[in-house]
Amino acid sequence: MRGMSPLARGAVALGQKVGPGIGLALGLSLVTLGVASAQEEPRVLDTAFGEVEIQGQPERVVTLYEGALDTSLTAGVTPLGAVATRAAEDVADYLKDEVPDIQIVGTAGEVNVEAVVGLEPDLILASSRLSEDTYALLSQLAPTVVPATEGFAPEAWKDEARLFGRALGHEGEIDRAIETVEARAAELAATFEAETSQDNAFLIRWMPQGPLVMSTELFTTGLLAAVGLDVQDDQLVPAGRPHSDPLSLEALSRVDGDWLFVATLDANGAEALDQAMQSDAFKRLSVVGNDRVVAVDGQLWTSASGPIAAQAVLDDIEQALEGVVTP
Amino acid sequence: MLSFQALLGLGNEEARFVVWDLRLPRTLVGLVVGVALGVSGTLLQSITRNPLAEPGLLGVSAGAAFAVALMLLLGGSLLELRIGVAQLGALFGCLCVLGVSRIRGLGADPVRLVLAGAAFSGLLGAMTSLILITDRRAADEIRFWVVGSLSGRRLDDLLAVLPSMALAALVLVMVVRPLASLALGERASAGLGHHPGRLRLLAILIVALLVGGATAIAGPIAFVGLVVPFIARAIAGPELRRTLWLCLPLGPLLVLTADVISRRLVAPSEMPLGVLTALCGAPVLISVVRARRLPSL
Amino acid sequence: MLDDRSLSAAATRSPDEYRDCHDRRDASATPDGMWLLRSGRFSLLVDRRQLFGALLLAVLLVGASLAYLCFGEKPLSPGKIWAVFNGQGAMLDTFVVEQLRLPRLLAALASGAAFGLSGCLMQTLARNRLATPGIIGIDNGATAFAVASVVGMGLSLAPSAMALTGAATAAALTFGLAAGGGAKGGAKGYRFIVAGIGVGAIFAAVTQLILSRAAIDAANAAYPWTVGSLNSRPAGAVVVLAIGLALLTPVALWLSRSLSLMRFSDAVALGLGTPLRRRRLQVLVVSVALTALAVSVAGPVGMVGLLGPEIARHLCGNRQVPLIGAALAGAAVMVLADLAGRLMLAPLELPVGIVTAVVGGPWLLWILIRR
Repeated sequence: MRGMSPLARGAVALGQKVGPGIGLALGLSLVTLGVASAQEEPRVLDTAFGEVEIQGQPERVVTLYEGALDTSLTAGVTPLGAVATRAAEDVADYLKDEVPDIQIVGTAGEVNVEAVVGLEPDLILASSRLSEDTYALLSQLAPTVVPATEGFAPEAWKDEARLFGRALGHEGEIDRAIETVEARAAELAATFEAETSQDNAFLIRWMPQGPLVMSTELFTTGLLAAVGLDVQDDQLVPAGRPHSDPLSLEALSRVDGDWLFVATLDANGAEALDQAMQSDAFKRLSVVGNDRVVAVDGQLWTSASGPIAAQAVLDDIEQALEGVVTP
Repeated sequence: MLSFQALLGLGNEEARFVVWDLRLPRTLVGLVVGVALGVSGTLLQSITRNPLAEPGLLGVSAGAAFAVALMLLLGGSLLELRIGVAQLGALFGCLCVLGVSRIRGLGADPVRLVLAGAAFSGLLGAMTSLILITDRRAADEIRFWVVGSLSGRRLDDLLAVLPSMALAALVLVMVVRPLASLALGERASAGLGHHPGRLRLLAILIVALLVGGATAIAGPIAFVGLVVPFIARAIAGPELRRTLWLCLPLGPLLVLTADVISRRLVAPSEMPLGVLTALCGAPVLISVVRARRLPSL
Repeated sequence: MLDDRSLSAAATRSPDEYRDCHDRRDASATPDGMWLLRSGRFSLLVDRRQLFGALLLAVLLVGASLAYLCFGEKPLSPGKIWAVFNGQGAMLDTFVVEQLRLPRLLAALASGAAFGLSGCLMQTLARNRLATPGIIGIDNGATAFAVASVVGMGLSLAPSAMALTGAATAAALTFGLAAGGGAKGGAKGYRFIVAGIGVGAIFAAVTQLILSRAAIDAANAAYPWTVGSLNSRPAGAVVVLAIGLALLTPVALWLSRSLSLMRFSDAVALGLGTPLRRRRLQVLVVSVALTALAVSVAGPVGMVGLLGPEIARHLCGNRQVPLIGAALAGAAVMVLADLAGRLMLAPLELPVGIVTAVVGGPWLLWILIRR
């Protein structure tokens, strides 16, 4: 049934239900109709592994990337399968309620191809880190879209989202969602301009042996910058890396700025902050004294991307800024 | 220089903080860990009469690390609990390896003990990996914990292990004389009215307390228990008590030197201490076996 | 080389039997538990227990392989598998069998057999049932290099090529460090193993160092190489392993007579005319090469090198060195363990190295304690 338009597929299903007689006739007439509409120009997408052709609006979608799941839901397409987000056995918490029945098909690092086969997908959306071997297998099952993103850039998620949007046949929704995010970031920037325009900020992940300083080139640090904060990494992050090596506690004062966003891999940002707060090295930072430490969900802040994630991150930022700015 | 000023209460606030609140606890922890590992290595080698018996090589540290990983998985986080659990794991590790390779008659074949230890460490390492995979939430914490480090250790950590360490020291002081006679041979020891079996058990208990405590605060640190007794014996000769005395300065010296290097080498980050001791210790191990002939105890 | 008391206790029985064999063969009688096959000028003594053991293991292996093809996320009946092999299977069934399960099954079979064989060689050589080539640092060397490759440090070789390079480097280091000096006989073997442990420890530390400094995503991607996994191994490495196995298995079998003698004391082996030093070196090289090739496919699954020969010794008896049995048992262990790893936490996978260690480890300990 792959390759047929949804209309035609519905017609066949209907035909099976109604019975051989009228149903078949009805089905046949609709199939011809469907074929006619499917003869529209197929969309040709530029991906990391060359051009991929897609027709119509795929419905059996499998996403092998946090950003693809987010984008797909933005487009109104609920994927059948997705990979577990990092450090969890399920999709990220902020999306869990949207996709209660989604099947997990492995992790971002290791895709279980057999599980993907079982879902009989008609479109697979993957991350730019998908290995060539896995691509060779997956592309036999369904058109597989791998964005040609290289390295890290704060705006890269928009290009990825537009690519996935085109693959899904829902370009318009994605463009609108990205515009909404941009508009909201600009609005927040304007609202808090007076208070925060001179402020710098660091995003770290708290680990037991010391914090990782996150790169300024990430999805979330890009949003922080869009809201008007001057995000820094104090040259601790090597080029092309998402984060620094674990920082020695003695060097903790290097992340002492106006704002400090603290993330962990699990959703319990508060727990991580508690843990951090127990450390004397942490307590004496001026940003801690000023009460401008913001605990955030690491699944959302360091693993996710996409329009829905962007809105959720902006929620966090707005809440943090409001708490301080309005007395 | 700045550090001395800071220690005396002079110097700027930043330096005082770094020295008093970060480096001092860390140094004290290194001190205790070095002594504990050096002494337990010496004891293990003496009772097994095997120059290669080392808590890390025998899987004793792996036992302690696995026990703590298991505890973290089950949700425990209390520091005092962690120490007890690590010590139980170390004891289990000791008994398993020594049981497998049979404590008697090891003088003839030091490698057999090491092979048993390696197989056992491999097993425990895999079990710890299993925990990593089934509980991804704890994975990050454990992944870094399975390499020993002194970073971020506080005085509270040290105070929590001190009672059990003190107990171990007390028992050691009581049995050190009979243990030294045991080193002369089982018959000589029995002739002096000691019970070799009971003595060995006590020694294993001491080793478990020491290694478990050290592992609980610093994670598994390999090769200290091999290198320190090796150097000590080279200086002091085979007599157990003199070797033990020498372990007191040598153990901390090695651990603290390694810690300073680990801090300086990749500043402002840190290198895991366990990595550094392995990189220093393994060549010593190799040079031990390259030495003239099979070293025997 | 090493004096393992209980093994040599078993061995002291065997020389008598061995002499019996010779005496009786002179009298044209077949020894107990053996069949004598004659064909013209050629005659062959077949150990019945070893033959039956090997047959049993072969049957087990075929069953395990079939189960491996049948079970998974998308279960297939044996009939469907048959249809696929006849070229009549459904499109998706064919994809699952030919593209996913069969290559992985072949990788499991080849690497398991290589691990089992090389473990058996090494244990006979060291006269110790706990010796594996992994003990001299090959596993750790391969892991360190493969992890460096995954994380993106060092040469731009594929992980499995890097693993092979690492295994070779570790073996060369161990050989080099253990060679020279005035030691001889037993002390030399002892020195060899301890040098290997030292080399292994250095490489393990290097792996930890790389992992602790790598980006978290990269470290997670390198994780399968640190425990041993069969998920998406490149076909090239499997082909190289298969060729190596095809070349080295006959060599190992040719060495097996000398191996039987090596189990006894050096004096006995030398007295029976074995060029002991040369044979030892040959056995060592074959064993190390097999492990290096297997590690480049599956990562460090060293436990198979202990479990395979152990099972083979139970089933095939101790009269001869059960090389074939060890290879078959190793392959069976690998296939079953990977099958379990695929099914246990589905849809997530448990790496085969963890399954073998967790299931095999306690069993091994129990055997050793009981003995």
